[in-house]
Amino acid sequence: MAISDLLILCAAGMLVTAYLMVGQKALVTAVRLYGFQSLLLGIVAATIAISQPRRELFVTAAITVALKAVLIPWFLTRLIDRIGIRREIEPFLNVPTSLLVCLGLTVVGYRVSTGFQEGALGVAHHLIGVALSMLLIGLFLMVTRKKAITQILALLTVENAVFLVAVGITPGMPLVVELGIAFDVILAVLVLGILVHRIVDRFESMDVSRLSKLKG
Amino acid sequence: MNLLVWTLAVPLATAAIGALNGPRKFKEAVMIGGLAITFVLCIATTRQFLGGAIPAAFGEALRVDGLSALVVVLSGFVGLLSGTYAVGYLRRNEARNLVTPRMRREIHGLLPAYVFATLLVSMTNNLGIMWIAVELTTLASVFLITFHDRDTSLEAAWKFLVLGSLGLGFALLGIVLLFAAGEEHLGEGLSALNWTRFMQVAPSLHPFTLRLGVVFALIGYGTKAGLAPMHTWKPDAYREAPSPAGVLMAVGMLNGALYCVLRIHLISNAALGPAFSGDLLLTLGLLSVFIATPFILVQWNLKRLLAYSSIEHVGIMAVGIGLGGEAGAFGALLHMTYHSLAKPVAFFSAGTLAQLHSSSNFDRIGTGTFSRAPIASGLLVLATLMITGSPPFGLFFSEMVILKAGFGSQHVTATTLFLAALIVLFCGFVFQIGRLVLGPPRDPKDRRVPKAEQFDLSMATVIVAAILASISAFYLPASLLALIHAATQVVWGTA
Repeated sequence: MAISDLLILCAAGMLVTAYLMVGQKALVTAVRLYGFQSLLLGIVAATIAISQPRRELFVTAAITVALKAVLIPWFLTRLIDRIGIRREIEPFLNVPTSLLVCLGLTVVGYRVSTGFQEGALGVAHHLIGVALSMLLIGLFLMVTRKKAITQILALLTVENAVFLVAVGITPGMPLVVELGIAFDVILAVLVLGILVHRIVDRFESMDVSRLSKLKG
Repeated sequence: MNLLVWTLAVPLATAAIGALNGPRKFKEAVMIGGLAITFVLCIATTRQFLGGAIPAAFGEALRVDGLSALVVVLSGFVGLLSGTYAVGYLRRNEARNLVTPRMRREIHGLLPAYVFATLLVSMTNNLGIMWIAVELTTLASVFLITFHDRDTSLEAAWKFLVLGSLGLGFALLGIVLLFAAGEEHLGEGLSALNWTRFMQVAPSLHPFTLRLGVVFALIGYGTKAGLAPMHTWKPDAYREAPSPAGVLMAVGMLNGALYCVLRIHLISNAALGPAFSGDLLLTLGLLSVFIATPFILVQWNLKRLLAYSSIEHVGIMAVGIGLGGEAGAFGALLHMTYHSLAKPVAFFSAGTLAQLHSSSNFDRIGTGTFSRAPIASGLLVLATLMITGSPPFGLFFSEMVILKAGFGSQHVTATTLFLAALIVLFCGFVFQIGRLVLGPPRDPKDRRVPKAEQFDLSMATVIVAAILASISAFYLPASLLALIHAATQVVWGTA
């Protein structure tokens, strides 16, 4: 299998996990899907690192796998176990309609990706197309779902999309910046986790649509 | 060690010590002392800049030009005010047995950490490090918003964090796209993300990728600055945060985020001409001013009122930048300076009233506060005059400069609408505060008797802040004015 096929396969796999997340109601499964998505991102980074000798991308791949495919999913699974709420309730939009909307978003994402420079046709074109679609799907998940955990997953999907753009079309972000961003992401997930705990303690639910006292 | 490194190290060390448990007096001394030293170091940095040098460290990863220097000195000033007020704030609450060790650790640890992060935002030359620092301010504010641990504070913190993280995700994508737009030209290593490098290679950046990147970055940082329509977290967060933290958000974070917006705007200016991001900023700014108007007219909570005023002011600054030209840039930066001087007075006097009445809701505070708390009410009226841009205070002049720039440009219709909104905002704000302060006195049968006003450290801080802000209307120190001009040169000279 040619390198470019592998890259496109992994990117397509990431898009599929995003779709599965939209169709999924069991929270633990959604977290695992996110973990798998991050693993695919790690493979994309590692493949690019090997094919065009870009050593820095090995670091990106290692950070991605360790942090987003292992550590964050583990933390979120533990969080779900401890608060004992396992399923997403009926979203604001039902699943078939949601999937149709996401299909439309994918078309938009691919359409925008055609504007990038000539070098961005071919593999990079697919990577950007997938990334922009995932970004839009992440935003969509965020506005239509009610459980706090799903909103965290939506944020993380957006973040994965940004990293796919970063490995797809840049010569690799500087290492210091990469480490700083990774540190910030893990800190943000921790803080979000603490907040979810407190919300569940207080409201006996993590349904964020109940957080609606503040208006005006 | 380099001056810039010290300026960052001192608040960081203050935060580290503050986050530990310790004797109360010691912690208070460390916070006020640490932030005072930080402010002095900020002044020293600007002095070095005004002396003709461009202070830098770590191979230009930290670099202070005119724009940075202005934001740095304002952050240091607000940090010191907020730290001093916070010590008094905790003492007041302690007298009523409302302070837990957790609260003490959070205030003493997070306020200096916040100051550190805002200073890092304005000192770094590297777009990546800038992003990391903005994210740090977000994370530091979460626990300041949940400080009182109410149902509503959890709601506010959740909305703030989700919206803020999303905004920062957009900003990160924007930076990645900017980086991609300059692929071959930016070089390698940490310095590839330097703002100065971007400015050097601006004409050869790929236009489509750059445009997309600029839009994402402006929306992302605009969310942090609280530009409409990404402003919805602001009223909730301002209401829930204790007033010293509220000031850091309303001035420190606002200046920092607007600074990021400006840096991105300048790259876009140099590469695509002033119209592209300028028009975007003008639109967002006008929208912010318009959206703030109805909410100020019907507001039910004092701190939310201040939040909408802050949305209005960031809108005014964005309009100034968007109009462009030397006058627009000068007006916006002058506005930023005067706003940073006036806003703490408003926040602290409002915070004092809220603390005395144990709530910031208008119906709990009641009308006629002047008879119960004359000093705080008087200061609130003074602050109202300042932040609504009444003459002779500074914001009047900066608004005039921006209006003049607007009527001189091709955006005459937009400027006319802007002026109309400003007038309505002025009336609305004065009406709300007037009703609160004057109005008939409280019903004597009401059993929720407010606390009596006392002269303490917090009150002294507000009075000093009010005196400084009033003096600034008539006399700006020559060095501060030189700094504003230098900052204008960065914005205008490179445009």
